[in-house]
Amino acid sequence: MAKVTINGIEVEVDSSMTVLKAAEKLGIVIPTFCYHPRMDPAGSCRICAVELEDSKRVVMSCVTPVADGMRVLTESPKIHDARKTNLELLLLHHPLDCPVCDCGGECPLQNMSFAYGATETRFESHRNDEPEDIKSDVLVFNANRCILCGKCVRICDEIQDVHAIGFINRGFDTIIGPPLGKKLDCEFCGDCYEVCPTGAITDQFTRYKYRPWQLEKQQTTCAYCASGCQIFVETENEAIVRVTSREGVGPNEGSICAVGRFGFNHVQIPERFDTPYMRSLHRLVPATWEDVLPEITARLDLIRKKGTDRVAGLISTRVPMEDAYVFQSFFRKVLRSNMIDSGARFGFMNAALPLVSATGTLRPLVDHEDILKAKVILVIGTDPVAESNISGLFLKRAARKERAKLYVVDSEAITLSTRAKDHIRLLPGGEKLFVSVLNEEIARNGALSPDWTARKEELFKNWNVDPGAYQRLVNDLTSTETGIIVTGRKAYRNENGSSIMNSIVRLIGSLGWAGKVGSGLFLLPENANDLGVLMMGGTHEWLPGLINATDPSSKSRWESAWGRRLSYGNGGSLGDILKGIEAGQINALISLGENPLSHFPSGSKVRETLAKLDLLVVLDLFQNELSDMAHFVLPVSSSFERGGHFVSAEGFVQPIKATMAHWGESLPDWEILSKIAHGMGESLGFESLESITAEILRFLPDLVPSSRNGAHYQGPTGEITVPVMSKTPPHKADRESVSVKYAQWQSGTVSANGEVHPILGEGDFILALTKSLFHSGKMTLMDPNLMEIQSEGKIRINRQVARKRKIKKGERVTVRSSFGSCSMIAEPSSSVAEFEVLFPSHFANEVVLGLFPPDLAFDRETGVPVQHRVRVFLETQNPA
Amino acid sequence: MNETKPVEVDLDDIEEICEGFEKREGSAVQILQRIQEKYGFVPAEALELVGDVLGIPKSKMYGVLTFYSQFYQEPRGKFILRVCVGTACHVRGAGMLVDKVKEELHINPGENTEDMLFTLEPVACLGSCALAPMAMVSGTAYGKLSPDRMASLIKQLEVEEAAQEQEKETV
Repeated sequence: MAKVTINGIEVEVDSSMTVLKAAEKLGIVIPTFCYHPRMDPAGSCRICAVELEDSKRVVMSCVTPVADGMRVLTESPKIHDARKTNLELLLLHHPLDCPVCDCGGECPLQNMSFAYGATETRFESHRNDEPEDIKSDVLVFNANRCILCGKCVRICDEIQDVHAIGFINRGFDTIIGPPLGKKLDCEFCGDCYEVCPTGAITDQFTRYKYRPWQLEKQQTTCAYCASGCQIFVETENEAIVRVTSREGVGPNEGSICAVGRFGFNHVQIPERFDTPYMRSLHRLVPATWEDVLPEITARLDLIRKKGTDRVAGLISTRVPMEDAYVFQSFFRKVLRSNMIDSGARFGFMNAALPLVSATGTLRPLVDHEDILKAKVILVIGTDPVAESNISGLFLKRAARKERAKLYVVDSEAITLSTRAKDHIRLLPGGEKLFVSVLNEEIARNGALSPDWTARKEELFKNWNVDPGAYQRLVNDLTSTETGIIVTGRKAYRNENGSSIMNSIVRLIGSLGWAGKVGSGLFLLPENANDLGVLMMGGTHEWLPGLINATDPSSKSRWESAWGRRLSYGNGGSLGDILKGIEAGQINALISLGENPLSHFPSGSKVRETLAKLDLLVVLDLFQNELSDMAHFVLPVSSSFERGGHFVSAEGFVQPIKATMAHWGESLPDWEILSKIAHGMGESLGFESLESITAEILRFLPDLVPSSRNGAHYQGPTGEITVPVMSKTPPHKADRESVSVKYAQWQSGTVSANGEVHPILGEGDFILALTKSLFHSGKMTLMDPNLMEIQSEGKIRINRQVARKRKIKKGERVTVRSSFGSCSMIAEPSSSVAEFEVLFPSHFANEVVLGLFPPDLAFDRETGVPVQHRVRVFLETQNPA
Repeated sequence: MNETKPVEVDLDDIEEICEGFEKREGSAVQILQRIQEKYGFVPAEALELVGDVLGIPKSKMYGVLTFYSQFYQEPRGKFILRVCVGTACHVRGAGMLVDKVKEELHINPGENTEDMLFTLEPVACLGSCALAPMAMVSGTAYGKLSPDRMASLIKQLEVEEAAQEQEKETV
């Protein structure tokens, strides 16, 4: 500890602290340009100068450590002069084009010049006139405005670990940009543009479109992935102009990804539904709510009178938990149907079902803070950077800065592989075997039965697993103080996803991590509110609170809570719904933003099945294959124009807020359902969104909103630099009850010869549909900004294989499976495995889906569709 | 005039150069120097490969490359005419030497002749002020130059080169 006096105030601080941090502690603001709380200090901008009273020396407070007895002045005539001179020098070559600069009005350089009155310069020099680098479709670099603080370069290196830009040249000629004069090629997170203290970095989508002071800012939760990022939506006349983040705010601590930052434009394009439509003589015609609601009500009323489980419902996991709560209330109470399912069925249910049966909760055992503290991290079946970007950032930080031992098990090289201690390049198809052997090995403490030993050998011989790396993984997992397993989409959507996730959940138990603070499983949900929708009972398995929906005792709990008898049927998941429709037992389907047609090949006859419905009501933002078939299409509000709460991967319950006006006649999903219920003579009892939230919290008080700000949270004005932690109610699972439940669940042995779903078809390659970093589901294909970043799907092929087969970048190749064929644009990549080809699922249209087996196959345990990969041949199209 | 041959970079050669050095950040400059010795400049492909070998991102490698004026990103002539324009040479008429080269070869400072034989590179001082005005080509210093002697030096180099080429062809 050291005692220092700053501006006459004495304070005792840790002796490793810098003068700047010590001043922060006292609430004294020292101006900075190059300092950034999440990064190592650079000391390059010289604006944070302070005076040492004893030696009369001027030092840079961001890099000077405190010393015992130090007396510091942060403001003095000498300091004022030093800073003013500094600004004069910074402005020497600056173009002073503030009137046309996007940063004007929120520019730290402008504000500082104003504060220190650097109005005239004693020096004579030329103004910079380097042409702008506009090669990139996303970011524009204007070297003239740059003050070379280096924050952009450092955030790209230290926080993002992308290293896309650097300093070029030397001295006065130094500029910042991508290497070799090429076009910027990076993750387009836009963090560099966020931290830039001048207008040197701007983006192509919003530049010259706003004056910062005319924008209204509203903090909300990003609705794409489940990282739970806090974003600021900035609007002018109720139209979204840009999305920004703020240092320290939210679990994302101020970083957001490309999708969150730039994917806001699809909600305000003319293609969006702005009025209800109803079918008339085989065409959908625009109508009013007054026309469609009585019509829907009457038809639903007839169908529900036929019996229970007559109406099926599908709900997207991008809606707030309030809507999911109303959705299941409406179906179970009013329509007496439990034939409901959510978008989580396409993957996440494979994880949710074993986890809930093992722990009774979907709340995670660990969060991002635990990731930073973990000593060993195993990333398996996921590319966190693409799937849940901010979780990816924390993993990068854990491996780079906190020196966690990171293991990656994946066939392809993911972004994190370069930071991994070992990257176990398992061949595609061996995932199930890997996790089951790993679990058995750890559960039995290495004493494997002959059957299991044989399977372990198989792993090394047939699936390319390096025995040394495997052993190191086992040793590290079993001996570590704290360990975390991270898994996601690729595991859920594996053809053996159900048993893979079962083994992973078992593995946590075998390792004894259920009761070990700081250790556990961290699941990356596929969508923003997978957790929230399931917690609200958005699937047939669970009532709100994740209790069994068909068990009489749990049913009676909600019966007494709701004060009415629940007489729905046994219900079923997507597969059962399709079967029911086919058999004529289900006559109506209401879909809230889900489109099953986009998941199955046309040969699966899902379209023909859905055509048998007497009533199909689609609530969506955009036209799609399902809405084309609908009897009624109802326009819904997007997450930018309504309220509600999302549950993040870390278990935080965070609000989304209305930031723009309702688009046309659109309404929130819950309101539409309430109106239909009302028309049917039943009241759900909800007059407003607040009344729904209140009811949820009354019955499930642990869902009280929670969040976490970064350690460098700066307060709402951004001017107070005292770190303030926001109130954090428990967001993680309760360890005690989880470990008790775990012990009960984990019994019995697992057979070494369990059934394995093979990857079907014939071919030299395995085609997998992956998630792109620049899209989220299919909705973002409507976003003009994100389409500018990635406009088409390309098939990624191993670089050596491509060279051998003479496949060039950008060339078309024919991909042929036993079920169909299609033409795709090739993109050789060094990260893809030799026997694998990858295509972004967002762009998987009917033709691409035609490569997959046409039979509908669902996992027996979890009801999740099993075909996500298929064997294919590649044929070049260039004439020999 | 000879046709300019595009420089082909053999990545195996670059790897071989890298093998001679320890795999640490500090080796970057030395490796780049060796590559420049071989090709006369640092080709972009080579830069990327060295970055991969040493585990240094491309953006940082490019920063190093552009920081030092000793590195070139474009091919250069076989003979680099380093004409000293330091103070001593300047007062003794270095400017006229530069003008002569410009006139003879039709190139500006920093440029190559079309046949890639010469590059004009005025330098600040070569430390041989006693020989002013002077120039240096391929490690040999030529002192007490005049514009005419400069012209004959260029001629001489051209003749030598032609002879060498012929010798190669006969072999």
